[in-house]
Amino acid sequence: MKRRINTKEIGCNPHEQLLTIGPESLVPFPDGKGMDNTPAVKSLTTEQRNHYECSLDGIVTLRLLKPKTKEEESKLVQSFLDGLRKLLSKEDNWTFLQPLLLSLDYCAKCQTCSEACPIYLASGRQEIYRPTYRSEVLRQIKEKYLDKRGKVLSKLTGNLIELNWTTIARLAELSYRCTLCRRCAQICPIGIDNGLITREIRKLFSQEMGIAPKELHESGTVKQLNVGASTGLTPKALKDIIQFMEEEIEEKTGKKIRIPLDREGADILLIHNTGEFMSWPENPEAFAIIFEAAGLSWTLSSDLGGYEATNYGAWYDDVQLARITYKQVEVARKLGVKKIVIGECGHAHKALTVTADRLLTREFNIPRESCMPLLEDIVFNGRNRVHLRRNDFLVTLHDPCNMVRLMGIVEPQRRILREISSRFREMEPHGVDNYCCGGGSGFSIMNSMNFPDWKMSVAGRIKVIQILETFKDVLDRGIKKYVCTPCSNCKGQMRDLFDHYGLQERYNIFYTGLAELIANAMANKKEPMDYALPI
Amino acid sequence: MWLQIVTYISFIFIIVASFIKVRRIAGKPLHLRWELYPVPHEKGREYGGSYLEQLDWWTKPRRRSFFGMLTYIMREVLWFEKCYRNNRGLWCFTYPFHIGLFLLGGWIFLLFVGAMAMIFGVTESIALVTAIHYLTFGAGAAGLALSTIGSIGLLIKRSIDQNLRLYSSPADYFNLTFILAIVLSGLSSWYFFDPGFAYAREFMKSLITFGPAAPNPAMTIGILLLALFLVYMPFTHMMHWVTKYFAYHRVFWDDDPNLGGGNIQDKVEKLLNQPVTWSGPHIQSGKKWKEVVSGSS
Repeated sequence: MKRRINTKEIGCNPHEQLLTIGPESLVPFPDGKGMDNTPAVKSLTTEQRNHYECSLDGIVTLRLLKPKTKEEESKLVQSFLDGLRKLLSKEDNWTFLQPLLLSLDYCAKCQTCSEACPIYLASGRQEIYRPTYRSEVLRQIKEKYLDKRGKVLSKLTGNLIELNWTTIARLAELSYRCTLCRRCAQICPIGIDNGLITREIRKLFSQEMGIAPKELHESGTVKQLNVGASTGLTPKALKDIIQFMEEEIEEKTGKKIRIPLDREGADILLIHNTGEFMSWPENPEAFAIIFEAAGLSWTLSSDLGGYEATNYGAWYDDVQLARITYKQVEVARKLGVKKIVIGECGHAHKALTVTADRLLTREFNIPRESCMPLLEDIVFNGRNRVHLRRNDFLVTLHDPCNMVRLMGIVEPQRRILREISSRFREMEPHGVDNYCCGGGSGFSIMNSMNFPDWKMSVAGRIKVIQILETFKDVLDRGIKKYVCTPCSNCKGQMRDLFDHYGLQERYNIFYTGLAELIANAMANKKEPMDYALPI
Repeated sequence: MWLQIVTYISFIFIIVASFIKVRRIAGKPLHLRWELYPVPHEKGREYGGSYLEQLDWWTKPRRRSFFGMLTYIMREVLWFEKCYRNNRGLWCFTYPFHIGLFLLGGWIFLLFVGAMAMIFGVTESIALVTAIHYLTFGAGAAGLALSTIGSIGLLIKRSIDQNLRLYSSPADYFNLTFILAIVLSGLSSWYFFDPGFAYAREFMKSLITFGPAAPNPAMTIGILLLALFLVYMPFTHMMHWVTKYFAYHRVFWDDDPNLGGGNIQDKVEKLLNQPVTWSGPHIQSGKKWKEVVSGSS
């Protein structure tokens, strides 16, 4: 029987795991799909268990080392409390103080949000993955350790939480069991945002204690600021890839296209997630084909900061978020472009268009927009008209949370798909009610130890079920099906999910971006290009 | 007269406390945008779209729908639609509970109107006054009945539903019991002593005229408990009736773009002049935000 873990337990029994996830507890796949025999989560080795803090659920994302002495533990507790104090102060946390307080102080604990959370549902409703669990832990720590007369009042209010290293370590790990999709906030009857609280917890750990997943910090934002891209792509390597892309475009279309790079005075600076150049070059190739055919004045940049759209700061650290934002707009400013257009990357959309809006002023406040309305304009109004109904295969659309629920870009991509595909069908639910792919908030690039197992078995489970449900009447291998995924990080998660569950081999389901499908539908080419096919 | 004084103090307290609460929340610094769709003031984009769906959005006029926003709010206030759709088991109790409280708010207002009519010598011979008395009866009786059913239902649900019980503190039970005690005393007063709410209206009149009144025992207990509750409430999460406005209008629906040269830009520039105070090793603590963001790590 499932054990109900209360908030007090987060600081108890440091040598025991709070939760062990077995395949039996996970929500089952639709009947007859034969996918339930996939392993859930591999156990850590003894060495790993001894070395790293893993007492939450046996998963490690942060590689926290246990303190060796009492003094060391006291220091960490003090540092955590200092960070929490800063989180609640307008001098230290102007960026999100108002939303945080509104969510932290007024939750009615009605648990309506829980049923909206794909991770909570997929896990078989495990208590620690409930959206309110980590918020309640933070709330209780604040009330007991920071509020006036908190220790006395906590006895009256039944707040039994203990702040020690175990509590801190488990809370830190727990902040990386939520994809910040904010589905929970969307259905909360009083506007409590547990996604925001989770991000603020991550922020406390990063900005005060220097604790963040390596993939997001050292190999993420720090690398991006120093090298140019979180993937490690250097300007020189980018130029080589662009040359390769030009050759491939010629090979596939018979057209010689020169991809503009560092063109000063162009109208548009197009910024892609560099994951596209590295893993799916057909996506930036498709953009080049479409933009050239439409006769746009545009350019890519090879300048440090100008060719990487990602901004992992959006998920864990306001300072890193702001630093990267400034790097990106500085490049646009130097090139003298009229606007920045963000390629198919959901979190980059939100970070640079919406979140950055209140960080940039005067000459740095260069107009920034999504590629979706521009692609829509090209498809419907551009000089180059696409051949209608060219894509004669089944397509569904995955809605990236950041682009759709968090910034309201819902219809342009749908209008395009309805236009270029003869057989488009929606997932249920879709649009602003969509389910996260399970790769959100950095998960798609986080691969520490056994975290990928958890990501596949738990975080991405509902999305896989949703895809299977969408195509349930056409799962036959003879029928080709696509999941249009207009976001690089979602695509990374789809790649791993498709591999893990064998969706391509078993059911002939593929994933791809939107630009590839548009390029594939364009009539003026030598022969079918298969741009929709991932390499 | 002491009961009237207690009532004055408690009402002044809740008004001042609410005002302070609003000022404190509204006075927080401008935060980074964090909207959540659907944003109902987006005209013609009821599916959850935003002005960002337009090419060169910054050159386009914004189309806002006051009616769309009003409809959304009314659906929430009058039907608790999110709870109805997503948590029907809770809605069965929280809806009568809250609607009951809203009706009791309306009942107090109608008592005030009725008392004013008495003060100005308008009698029941005038149809409007009779209508007000009927309305007062309807709002009071329905409000007391619904909030009693709702608070008992919520207490039971919180006690037996494991999902709620695990997260319910003694304070949560206390708050519901407190409200139940108030409405039960009101219910007793109505049923045993004051079926037409004439005494209640007399008491309201005494509050307006600073005159004497003789409330029945149940009513005295009810008024005392309500007064205590109004003093207690500002220190609890029950102030969500105030903060909900900010959660939606200042966070989820706050999509005002910083188009340059405006109020938002001025505020952002001031905030970027504040020092970064965090102690993480990658943060240049002590420097101003604008210095930190323009340099490398």
